[in-house]
Amino acid sequence: MKMNENNTVEKDELTGDKLLAGHDYDNIRELDNNLPKWWVWLFIITVVWGVAYVIVYDVLKAAPYQQEEWKNEMAAAGTVTPGQPAAVTDTTLLALTDQASLDAGKDIWLKQCKVCHLEGGQGLVGPNLTDDFSIHGCKYYNVVNIIVVGAPEKGMISWKAQLTDDQIKKVSSYVMTLKGTTPPNPKAPQGDPCK
Amino acid sequence: MENQTFYYDNKIVRNFAYATLLWGVVGMVVGLLLALQFIWPSLSFGIPYTTFGRIRPIHTNAVIFAFVGNGMFTGIYYSLQRLCKARMFNDLLSKINFWGWQFIIVCAALTFVFGITTGKEYAELEWPVDILVAVIWIVFGWNMIGTIIKRRTSHIYVAIWFYIATFVTIAVLHVTNSLAIPVGLFKSYPIYAGVQDALVQWWYGHNAVAFFLTTPFLGLMYYFLPKAANRPIFSYKLSIVHFWALIFLYIWAGPHHLLYSALPGWAQSLGVVFSVMLIAPSWGGMVNGLLTLRGAWDRVREDPVLKFMVVAVTAYGMSTFEGPMMSTKTVNAISHFTDWTVGHAHIGALGWNGFLTFAVLYYLIPRIFQTQLYSKKVANLHFWIATLGIIFYAVPLYWGAITQASMWKEFTADGMLKYPNFLETVTQLQPMYAARAIGGALYIVGIVLGIYNLVLTIKGGNFLAEEAASAPALVKAGGKRGSGEGIHRWLERRPVQFTVVALVAILIGGLIEIVPLYLIKTNIPTIASVKPYTPLELQGRDIYVREGCYTCHSQQVRPFRSETERYGEYAKAGEYVYDHPFQWGSKRNGPDLSREGVVSGRQYKPNSWHYNHMLNPQLLNEQSIMPVYKWLISDDLDLSTTAKKIRVMQFLGVPYPAGYDKIANDDLMIQARAIADDLKSQGIQVEPTKEIIAMIAYLQRLGKDVHAAGNPTASITGK
Repeated sequence: MKMNENNTVEKDELTGDKLLAGHDYDNIRELDNNLPKWWVWLFIITVVWGVAYVIVYDVLKAAPYQQEEWKNEMAAAGTVTPGQPAAVTDTTLLALTDQASLDAGKDIWLKQCKVCHLEGGQGLVGPNLTDDFSIHGCKYYNVVNIIVVGAPEKGMISWKAQLTDDQIKKVSSYVMTLKGTTPPNPKAPQGDPCK
Repeated sequence: MENQTFYYDNKIVRNFAYATLLWGVVGMVVGLLLALQFIWPSLSFGIPYTTFGRIRPIHTNAVIFAFVGNGMFTGIYYSLQRLCKARMFNDLLSKINFWGWQFIIVCAALTFVFGITTGKEYAELEWPVDILVAVIWIVFGWNMIGTIIKRRTSHIYVAIWFYIATFVTIAVLHVTNSLAIPVGLFKSYPIYAGVQDALVQWWYGHNAVAFFLTTPFLGLMYYFLPKAANRPIFSYKLSIVHFWALIFLYIWAGPHHLLYSALPGWAQSLGVVFSVMLIAPSWGGMVNGLLTLRGAWDRVREDPVLKFMVVAVTAYGMSTFEGPMMSTKTVNAISHFTDWTVGHAHIGALGWNGFLTFAVLYYLIPRIFQTQLYSKKVANLHFWIATLGIIFYAVPLYWGAITQASMWKEFTADGMLKYPNFLETVTQLQPMYAARAIGGALYIVGIVLGIYNLVLTIKGGNFLAEEAASAPALVKAGGKRGSGEGIHRWLERRPVQFTVVALVAILIGGLIEIVPLYLIKTNIPTIASVKPYTPLELQGRDIYVREGCYTCHSQQVRPFRSETERYGEYAKAGEYVYDHPFQWGSKRNGPDLSREGVVSGRQYKPNSWHYNHMLNPQLLNEQSIMPVYKWLISDDLDLSTTAKKIRVMQFLGVPYPAGYDKIANDDLMIQARAIADDLKSQGIQVEPTKEIIAMIAYLQRLGKDVHAAGNPTASITGK
C-alpha cells in the first residue's frame, strides 16, 4: 500500500492534487479536493429558494394554492355554462344545404357522434338515424334540440358545452342527409314513425 | 502483521450477471411489445394475459427489479468483497439471495399475467410475494452487513455507504407501502385509502427510483469508474456532503408525483422544494464521477467500459436536472400524465442504469473469466446503437408530450375545447409512438450485441470461481474517536453506527410527511355524499384493478379550466376515502375516468356503450388504441369473495352496516339485474352474473358522489 509513512504529502501525478493518506480501497485512492465552488453555490441557492417557497406558499399564504388558481383561471376565461340549456322549439329552422356546411358537419359527426351512432348513422348504442323512425322527432329542429338538451338518461349528453350553435346546426344538417341511406348492419327502428 | 489468504466468491457474481442479461432481454422485449400496442392495439391478441394493463407491470418490474436489480447485485457482490478484503459473509445466504430473487421474478411475471396485482405502480406484487421480497431483501442485507463486519479494511468506502443506504431504505419503503389486509391468497386491500394511499405509494415509488435505481448505482459508479479509469476519486469531501444530502433530501420529494392533485397544498409544496434542493446533491455524484476522469479522457475514447460509464453518468446528470424541473408546478402542469414522464424515466433506465450495468459487465466478466473482452469493435457498435436508441426513444416522446399537452389545453375563440375528443390527441401522436418503438428496438439490438460479445468472451475464457486474495487481518481500533480523527472518518470504521445514522436520516422526511396526513383529519375534508361502493361496484373495482386500467386511465381531474371543461369537477381529497387502493394513475393513454358516471357530465356513456366498447373498442372508434376485453362478457363474476371483501373493508373502517357481509350478494344481484335489464332494453342479452356487469356498475359510479355534493367551489359554471 502506498501509505504516507514519512508524513510527506502524496500527490496525484496527472493533476498534482493532494491524495488523502490512508484512503486506499482495493487500490482506489481519494483526492483531498474541496467541493467545487459553483456546486456549493448551486446547493445554497436551491435551499434558499426552497425555504422562501415554503414561506411564501405555506406560511404567509402569499401565493395561491391550486383551488385559488383554478378560480382565477375560470374567472379570467369568463366561462359561463348554463345549467340546463333551453329547448329549441323554433319549427321554422331550416337545415343548411351548402356543401361546406355539410362537410364541416361531417367532421364533427366523425369526431363526436360516430362513437355511438357509428359512421354511417346505422346506430349501435344510439339509435339508427337512417331509417324513417325517431325517438325525439324527425324534423331538423328536433335534431338540433336533442343535440342541445340531450337525453342523458338514455345516454345522449347535451353537447351545448362542447359545440357552438353554429357547429350544432352544421352537424344536425349532416344528420338530416343520413336519412334514407343504407349503411351495413342497421339497428332496428326505435321510436315513432315519421309522418 | 501477517497476511491472511482468502477467496472471493466469483460464482455468485457470475450467476447474477447471467440473470441480469436474461431478464434484461425479457423486460425490454415486453417493453417493445407495449410500444407496438400503441400502434397496433390488436397486438394484445384478444386474450387477457397479453393486454397492456397486465404486461405493463411485467415490463416495469422486470426492468427495475429483475434487470437493474440483478445488475445491482452483480456489482455489489463483486465490489463489496474486494472493498472489504473479505469473502461474502455466508455462501448459503448468497445462494438464497440469488435463487430467492429469481423465484420472486418468476412469481411476479406469473401473477401479473393472471391479473394478480395490488394496482399500485411499481408495487404491484400481492402480499405473499411481498413477504418473500422482504425476506430475501433481509437475507441480502444480512449477508452484506455480515461481510462488512468481518472486513479486513479499517474504513468503509463511499460505495459501501451507498449500498447500506440502499438496503435500509428499500426495506423501510417496501414494508410500509405493502401493508395490506388479505382477502385471499391472491388478493388484498392496502390499509391506506385514497389520498393517504397515494402519498404512501408515491413516497415509495419515488424512493424506489432513489434507492433502487440511484443509490446502489452511485455506489457501483464509485467502485467501477475509478477502477476502470485507474484514477483517484476527485473529492472525498464531496462524497461525504453529497451522500448525506442526497439520502436525507430524497425521501421528502415523493409528493412531486401528485402536484395539482387532491393532495393537500402543504404536502405538494414539500414535494416541490425538496425536489429542487436535490439538484446539487444528485449532481455531486455526476461531478465526482466525471472529474475523476480528469487526465484519463484520452482513454475514454479507447475503452468501451469508460465510454458506457461517461454516457451513464451524463444521462444521470440530465435526468436529475429534468426531474426537479418536472417537479415545479409550472412544468408539471404540462408534463404530468403525458409521455414526458415516460421519456424522463427511460433516460434514467436506459441511459443511467442500462449503460452502467453494461459497463460493469464489460469490466468484470473478462476479469472473472481471466481473459480479454472478445471484441472492442462489437462493444463500440453496441455503444453507438444503444445511444442512438435512447435518442430515438426519448426525443419523439418529448415532442409528443408537448403536442398532446397543448392539445389538451387548447381552447377555441368561442371558449370551447379545441380537441374535446381525447382520442384525437392520441391519434396525433402515432408517428411519435412509431419512432419510439424503433428507438426501443435499436436499444434491444444493442443488448443482443452485448450478450453476443459477452458469451464469446466467456467461451474464450477460463472461469475463476474462487479468486485468491490476501490482506492483513483488521486490527481492532477503539470505539472512541482517535485524536485528529474527524467524526465522519470515525463513522466510516463503525458500520453499525453508520447504518443507524443513515436509517435516521431517511426516516425523518418520511415521518414528517406521512404521519400528519394520517393523524390530522382536516387534511382530508369529508364530503357527506361520498358513500362506500355497493358490493357490485366493489367487485367491479377489483376487476378494474386486476386489468390494470390505471396504467392508461387516470382518476384525477386536475384543477385547470381545460380539465374541468373536459371532465367535470376537479378532484377532492374527500371523494377517495373508501378507495383501497387509490387508482389515480400516472399516465393518460386514454381519458380520465373519474367523472365517467356523472349522468349530466360530458364523459357520460350509457351502459350499452360500455358493453360495446369492452367487446370491440375499434368498432366504435377505429383509431382507438384500447384493447378488447371480451372475456369480461363471457366470464362469471366470483360471488364467493363478496362477503370476505366486505368484512375486510369493514375492518379497514369502511362503514358498511354490521352483518352486511351476509346480505351483500343479495344487493349485488339486485343491482346486477337492473343493469342487465337496461342492456336488454338495448337489445343486448347478457346474464347479470357476468364480470362486465360489475365493471359497468363501477364505471357508472365514478364521480356520482362528488357531483351529488353540488360543491359550489367546484361547479363547472365558473361563477
